Amino acid sequence: MIPIAYNLRSMAVRRTTTLASVLGIALVVFVLAAALMLSHGIKETLGRSGGSDVAVVLRKGSDAELGSSIETPTLALILSAPGVKRDEHGNALGLGEVLVVATMDKVGFAGVSNVQIRGVPDSVMQFRKGVQIVDGRRAQPGTDEVIIGQRLRGRFKGLELGQTFELRKNRPARVVGVFTHEGSSHESEVWADLDAVRAAFGRSGLFTAVRVQLESPSKFEAFEAVVEQDKQLGLDALREDRYYEKQSEGTSLFVTALGSVIAVIFAIGAMIGAMITMYASIASRGREIGTLRALGFSRRSILLSFLLEALALALLGGVLGVLASLLLGSVKFSMMNFASWSEIVFSFTPTPGILLTALVFAGIMGLCGGFFPALQAARISPVRAMRE
Amino acid sequence: MNLVGVSVKNVGRNKLRTLLTVLGIAVAVVAFVLLRTVLNAWTVGADFAAKDRIGTRNKVTFIMPLPKRYLETIRSVPGVVDSCYASWFGGKDPNHEREFFASMAVQTQTFFSVFDEIVVAPADKERWLGDRKGALVGDVLARKLGWKVGDKVTLTGSIYPGDWQFQIDGIYGATRKVVDRSSFFFHWDYLNESLPEGARQRDQIGWVTSRIKDPGRAADISQAIDKIFDDQEIQTLSMSERAMNMSFLGMLSTVLKAIDIISLVILAIMMLILGNTIAMGARERTREFGVMRAIGFLPHHIAISVLAESLAVGALGGCLGLFLAYPLVQGGMGRWLEENMGSFFPYFHIAETTALAAVGLALLLALIAGLLPAYRASRLHVIESLRRVG
Repeated sequence: MIPIAYNLRSMAVRRTTTLASVLGIALVVFVLAAALMLSHGIKETLGRSGGSDVAVVLRKGSDAELGSSIETPTLALILSAPGVKRDEHGNALGLGEVLVVATMDKVGFAGVSNVQIRGVPDSVMQFRKGVQIVDGRRAQPGTDEVIIGQRLRGRFKGLELGQTFELRKNRPARVVGVFTHEGSSHESEVWADLDAVRAAFGRSGLFTAVRVQLESPSKFEAFEAVVEQDKQLGLDALREDRYYEKQSEGTSLFVTALGSVIAVIFAIGAMIGAMITMYASIASRGREIGTLRALGFSRRSILLSFLLEALALALLGGVLGVLASLLLGSVKFSMMNFASWSEIVFSFTPTPGILLTALVFAGIMGLCGGFFPALQAARISPVRAMRE
Repeated sequence: MNLVGVSVKNVGRNKLRTLLTVLGIAVAVVAFVLLRTVLNAWTVGADFAAKDRIGTRNKVTFIMPLPKRYLETIRSVPGVVDSCYASWFGGKDPNHEREFFASMAVQTQTFFSVFDEIVVAPADKERWLGDRKGALVGDVLARKLGWKVGDKVTLTGSIYPGDWQFQIDGIYGATRKVVDRSSFFFHWDYLNESLPEGARQRDQIGWVTSRIKDPGRAADISQAIDKIFDDQEIQTLSMSERAMNMSFLGMLSTVLKAIDIISLVILAIMMLILGNTIAMGARERTREFGVMRAIGFLPHHIAISVLAESLAVGALGGCLGLFLAYPLVQGGMGRWLEENMGSFFPYFHIAETTALAAVGLALLLALIAGLLPAYRASRLHVIESLRRVG
């Protein structure tokens, strides 16, 4: 076999052309990795909001919390269903909330956008254990005080510690705290007092969804059977993780599809670029190749050698592209979630799988682009090449 | 044969390389046209939105309704020609769970005078207006779900629970191109009267759309409407249809920006490919340039010949790309998007400016990509380049 050092040295000799092809491939890999990272970020942000041992109850027929409504007395019925976990005092762990959407002015961009506002009861902190107040304090129950998710902070007018915004005329809501929740989509929500939201949004006596903590994920079927049994109530129970998975489906599919289409088109372009480079480098190395053949290297080892060179070229670009995409880790991407018509802030989340996919993609690009040039190199006749 | 002729002939010297380069540029042009058309298709809604219509909705949120009596007040505002109210129904066809389409309960009496771009056969129009359970559906939607006039259909309500029966009375088309032709319109009265007496949603409307006399006064009239309700318990937010579309785009602004950036990255890739090819070609011809210089050609002649070659390849690639883009982007994808995602992309066509920009940019980038190789070739020393081997 021809030592790989030969190929690496040849690449170094033709620095400019090598660099141009490597950059082209790097750009392709960057775009692909970025799209996959964003799509994963969307799934993860919404996925973190849900657990498999939590059940969400909605009104039958509504696919999201926004369109659902459940009468207050129904909460007690749901909490008494089997499988619901109870605390040491025997109280069922569950809560009813009201989720609404409000129009707010954006900061730094002329225009309005939709923000999700969740009316929560006082027990919300016990129910969602991952919530942490990172700035300010908790809101006083029964007042117009609200806390906001970390990712909303400073993105809309009035959504900053100590500032106010109006939900109802002459009833300003004051932001007293900023919270995090393990990077979930709750961090793009405003949490206000349950009754204040009900009053402001004409939802008196209603919940939009009821969540319960199950004793274990396996208790879900029993819980579901009882809750959905009463056709009069018309309820629909879902596992919380499954619910959020459905919420993220559209948006994440959109990003993946768009990103993949772009990456494939790009890849064709970059592959052609790599092909041109390889053809040129082989054409100008006719004599070298002839010499190698005369020295006794087989056609197959020439083919392999040039394929490896193309692979090395592509992988170099791949690594560069992946490294560049990792820089996106700190970028926050605010995007409309098609399921709720409101903005959620996502981040680019790299995983080893995504980085590997991007590198493999680069490798395949290199092999495909390098195959025909390598084949041509292997076909060179030693006698004719050396006479040139 | 003049100098430019010679350099254009040079294009055919290494046929395989030129072919690959032209293909590479063509692919980049297709991608550029595709992304620009996606961007355009989104913003075209705002550009072509009716300028003489304003919408009024609840100030706090779109999920809360307005009292029905607001209609009369809005209709009496000076400058308003006619107003029509509607409510979002959010229905789904149980046989096609995954198909998303807009379903709205509308005030039928004023519907056609406010939405004057909707075209229906007179007989269908009469039938729909007279049939309480009648539905008027867009031709794109009807074709997709296989509905014909006279069919009975059932929709499941996601906001208004239960199953709702309708009869398809008419299929509409549109006179303007950006109208969503996959909507489902039915009588608001049917919806309202089906709700139990005293229900929260009874006598409530989602929004009011008004046609105004003078499009230039849209902002003034919007303000005038909102001022009337300012001291009421429920305040309103009015804006022109155009402004409403713009604010929808605002929610997608980061996506739009990302697509914008990517379409520029494509151009960078295109330039890398082209620059590479030209540089390689020029390097291989070092000796030839030496001969040309020796027989009296000046440095700028050499530079011009390299640049002309680059431009010729760029022009070929740009034109081929555009030639491929029309059937691919407009014929294939465009039709699919209009049929399946009509609510987001009602009009997916390549704009003339996009086509011109694609070819123009291909030429411009070819020029830039050729600059460095041209400069280098023109600076070659005659003796040295003649001596050079390889």
